[in-house]
Amino acid sequence: MIENKIGVISCSGEECLGGTISRLAVRKMMEELKPGMVSTLCLPLFIAGDGGEREFAEKYPTIAVDGCSKCCAKRAIEKYSNAVAGSVDVAEIIGEAKALEKPLSTRNLTDEHMEYVKQAADKTSQIFDEIVAKSV
Amino acid sequence: MSKSICVLPCNGLDKCAGDLSRRVALQLAQSEEVALICPVLLNQNRSRYEKDLEAGDLTVIDGCNTRCASKLAGDLEIAIKEKVNVSEVAKALNIKLGVEIREDEQTQTVVSAVLEKINSSAADQAASEFIEPESIDYNTFSHGKFIFKVPKANYYFNENDCWVTVSGNIARVGVSDYVQQNLSDILYVDPPEIGQEFEQFDDLGSIESGKAVFEIIAPASGTVVAVNTGLNDAPELVNESPYEKGWLVEVQLTDFAEDQDLLHDCPAYFEFLQRKVAEIDV
Repeated sequence: MIENKIGVISCSGEECLGGTISRLAVRKMMEELKPGMVSTLCLPLFIAGDGGEREFAEKYPTIAVDGCSKCCAKRAIEKYSNAVAGSVDVAEIIGEAKALEKPLSTRNLTDEHMEYVKQAADKTSQIFDEIVAKSV
Repeated sequence: MSKSICVLPCNGLDKCAGDLSRRVALQLAQSEEVALICPVLLNQNRSRYEKDLEAGDLTVIDGCNTRCASKLAGDLEIAIKEKVNVSEVAKALNIKLGVEIREDEQTQTVVSAVLEKINSSAADQAASEFIEPESIDYNTFSHGKFIFKVPKANYYFNENDCWVTVSGNIARVGVSDYVQQNLSDILYVDPPEIGQEFEQFDDLGSIESGKAVFEIIAPASGTVVAVNTGLNDAPELVNESPYEKGWLVEVQLTDFAEDQDLLHDCPAYFEFLQRKVAEIDV
């Protein structure tokens, strides 16, 4: 089993609403959908090269969850570690225009936004399950 | 339109402090004067923020002591005007942040304190009583491609390469030419608070380049009465003029006669530095 040894990286999410959604989707994976089964990797730390984040992504399958089509998380993993095991682009789920709206603080999120978070988290969870299934 | 302030939060996701850096940044970005900088996009495509960075002063918000945002600015050689560390602010408030991301009264208190720290202007400082000498003569020696200079008189050094020079009961503190050459381009000076009392060999702020952070070790005991505000806009003065325009802190001395016993005067430091440079083969 490689559960607990699957990483998830969210984009930093400062540029757009898609980033806000991607961050929350990763938190939802960690806290609700797959608690204790995934390791979240901190993208700024990953880029700084500290904390063992790059080494983890080199050794274990890692899923990138990006807020928009710039795919910062996916590109960072591929640049510094390895090919991603899977990727989610929030813009593909909620639409590019919506994803590029202004980022929000979590306290300003509406039910509609939370539904986007759920969809992005479900998609990430589905990729997680596929990786686990392949490894068995 | 270019903004006058750029805010670079660490945006960490795996600790509460990182999330708070984002919350602070988002609140600051509600002002039209503030440009929000995504650390990851900055790393990937600096040109995206080039205009904002040219026009505005950079404020960095680090979540924890890994200081990812500061390191990123250092790696990209972007000068930092102001810096705040969420974990340190929380610690000063006696609030434990932990890993879990939460929106409660405690985290809001930290966010408010960080915002207050960023928004508060530098504390008022009295007009300087330090009388600058008309000119300073230097001794120099070279080692390999490096030329090191040390004043000929009136400066006292600890073995951490920090100096103090005295004018009445007021003194200025700074770092030696050796330090600035080791650090290379200084990007940020983190001064102590005005009014802070300190003992000889206490920490007295830090200076930071893309290569390292250097803790300033107080060469004498006293109270901070002023900081060199010129370094906010031009930290490179520490490189260009480490013993004069690049002074760091002005202090009211407590007992310099006693502190002096543990310091090198200029000729002694000159010899000390020659030995040190030879030993570590700079």
